[in-house]
Amino acid sequence: MSAIPAALATATTLGGAGALAGLGLPYRLRVPVVGLLTAGAGVAGAAAGVAALGGSRWATDLPGLLPLVGTHLAVDALAGVFMAVAGAVVVAVAVYGVGYAAGHGPHGLGSRTAQAMLPLFALTLVLVPAAASVSTFLVLWELMALVSLLLVLAEHRERASVRQAGVWYAVMTHLGLVLLLAAFALFAARAGGETFAALRAGAHTVSPTVRGLVFVLAGLAFTSKAGAVPLHAWLPRAHPEAPSPVSALMSTAMVNLGVYGLIRTGLDLLGGGPAWWWLGLIAVGGVSAVYGILQAAMASDLKRLLAYSTSENMGLVFIGVGACGLFTSYGDRPLAALALAAALLHVVNHAAFKALLFCAAGSVVRSTGLRDLDRLGGLRSRMPATAGLFALAALGAVALPPGNGFISEWLLLQSLIHGLQVPGVAVAVVLPLSVALIALSAGIAAAAFVKALGVGFFARPRSPRADGAREAPPLMIAGMGLLAAACVALALVPGLLGDALDRAVSAIGLPGSGALSGGGVRVRLTDISASLSPLWVVAALAVAIMAAVGLPRLYGRRRRRMNARLWDCGGGAPTPRMAYTATSFAEPLQRVFDDVLAPEQDLNVTPVRESAYLVERVRFERRVPDRIEHRLYEPVLRALAGTGRSARRLAGGSVHLYLGYGFVGLVVLLVALAVGW
Amino acid sequence: MGLLRRIRETGRAAEPAPPRPEGDVPEKARELGGSVQVRCVDAGSCNGCEIEIAAAFNPVYDAERYGARQVASPRHADVALVTGPVTRNMAEPLRRTVAAMGEPRLVVAVGDCAINCGEFAGGHGVEGAVADVVPVDLTVPGCPPEPDAIVAALRRVTGR
Repeated sequence: MSAIPAALATATTLGGAGALAGLGLPYRLRVPVVGLLTAGAGVAGAAAGVAALGGSRWATDLPGLLPLVGTHLAVDALAGVFMAVAGAVVVAVAVYGVGYAAGHGPHGLGSRTAQAMLPLFALTLVLVPAAASVSTFLVLWELMALVSLLLVLAEHRERASVRQAGVWYAVMTHLGLVLLLAAFALFAARAGGETFAALRAGAHTVSPTVRGLVFVLAGLAFTSKAGAVPLHAWLPRAHPEAPSPVSALMSTAMVNLGVYGLIRTGLDLLGGGPAWWWLGLIAVGGVSAVYGILQAAMASDLKRLLAYSTSENMGLVFIGVGACGLFTSYGDRPLAALALAAALLHVVNHAAFKALLFCAAGSVVRSTGLRDLDRLGGLRSRMPATAGLFALAALGAVALPPGNGFISEWLLLQSLIHGLQVPGVAVAVVLPLSVALIALSAGIAAAAFVKALGVGFFARPRSPRADGAREAPPLMIAGMGLLAAACVALALVPGLLGDALDRAVSAIGLPGSGALSGGGVRVRLTDISASLSPLWVVAALAVAIMAAVGLPRLYGRRRRRMNARLWDCGGGAPTPRMAYTATSFAEPLQRVFDDVLAPEQDLNVTPVRESAYLVERVRFERRVPDRIEHRLYEPVLRALAGTGRSARRLAGGSVHLYLGYGFVGLVVLLVALAVGW
Repeated sequence: MGLLRRIRETGRAAEPAPPRPEGDVPEKARELGGSVQVRCVDAGSCNGCEIEIAAAFNPVYDAERYGARQVASPRHADVALVTGPVTRNMAEPLRRTVAAMGEPRLVVAVGDCAINCGEFAGGHGVEGAVADVVPVDLTVPGCPPEPDAIVAALRRVTGR
């Protein structure tokens, strides 16, 4: 008897109970009870995922649950990865969310709707990977989208921009759903069945053109959900405007499901495909990685920065998935397994550090009401725990050795570099290019997170609100502590995940990669000679840092120390306004990438009335717009608006005209039927 | 190649070193061991003295061959070369500049204005001579002093 059905049933019960409690309980009881039930659902979901990763599989059909088609559920190790990640993030965020919503008043996240939706959202995040038929998957997928939309809108009374973000999110997520519906309808019709098992079995009978079309449509929908360029525009709007616990869930567990959908559809249901699919996916991933992190480095809104960084990390994951498909299509299965294992490990790592980053950013927002890095600063002394946790997570995000992001990016680079032995012109061109793109994005990520941490948390406060910041309540810190522990564990002993990742990779028919063998301490690649011991790297770094800090202190103590006034060029103490801001920090980088970013600037000089030579006021404004959004979305929106305007002429207000329409419509229909369909 | 030829043809531009200036090395400067970092402070000068100081460090007079070197921050400096009468706005910055220098430190007042306010004595924006604001160790008279005189004063500090 597998533990999976019991765990999933528990999760469903607790999630449902949480939704009811959110609706029914008064404000005081609501937040802690919902938090507890959500955390319980998360624990159960994570347990189901871990059980699946441990090697047990489970499948069931519940014919009565959905009309006509019934519900099909199945859990394998691949689903287990995403289930376990979602469950773990839900637990930490639920604990954090109790502290976040308490004392905030019965609005925003503490409101009845939001508290009822939060457990449902957590539940759908856990259940989507368990779906084993098209209809079950789409129902859960749409439920997840709707519930998250309501959660994004939780603070709509406080900021008008929330509503706009909600509209963007609603439109784009439903656009994705339409694409997904089209893809799966086509696939199911040609493959002769709508359960995943039937699709898997019938995929070989479908013509290559249709398979390609299915992959492109589903790929667009799933990459959009994961926030990859070019359908990313909702992500930098919705993630910053949502309450921070919701941002943390959306930016980790929900975007992960985009990756899951793509792996499930492309590599499992369609059973892989020709090289052009995967080259396209690598291109999307590469562009997302560099463009996302470039926009993150320019952003001065803390949560927008984190949202764009999600775009970047999902791009890296898609490079890994694309490389896996590419190697499979060329027949190099061990290398494909390594690439997929790297992508999955990056999914796990990204979830850990990004959830922590969003939670820490949420503490800042809750305490100061500010997201603008230019007006923050000085938080290290006012919120030491939050600042420390943010620093820990930022270390993971920059992909440098002691952080957890380093190991998965290292694995990804190893798989790409060793992929050069695969023959083919496209491979020889694309793989070195993607290695270069990953390196570039890692470099810019370092700049972006140095900015977020240095400008946002160090130096002196640049506004009264930042000056009055207070440390987050203990429950929020406890939630963040769970995520921080996950980050540290992933950084020190990623090898513990080795067997689980092997099972997840072999769930789609690839041989286990053995990428993370060696009992946790060592990462050794079995097929290519490369190894890495994260624990020793960290130990060596710690010794080096301690030596660098300790030795001068040991020898410097004999000297006399005296306090002196800070050298301020003789002109008086510098004010906080003179400090480096996020905008000024990003300016040199913006110059370097001027052609890509195309910043817009306005200079308004108002002269005094008497003379054109005397200036009364100068107003300078500089924006870095999302250029892809500018070029790709605005023409479409303009065309849509134009169509709408011209269609308005059809409704002239005359009853005769409308009767005429009805008559013409009837005649056309009858003629069509008479001619014989 | 053109540059190398220019260098060879020009040869040595510096004038031969004049004899060691008279007078002892100030007590404080002995610790500096013949290597002196110099920070210039314009406390309200007409810029005449600045031109002469710039000339003192050019290849012809070449004060650097005696061990004096200009630096960009008082934190790096041993000697402050102060020019001009001290104006009201520069009095406090001058005090802070001298305070920002490490011990041992010397102040050299360059030009007549720095010594006794010169032409500007009694002006309403003038606080006083340099010695009224910070303790002065050496003076270089002249309006403006010749580069030779400035180099001689710096040589007394370096002792070379």
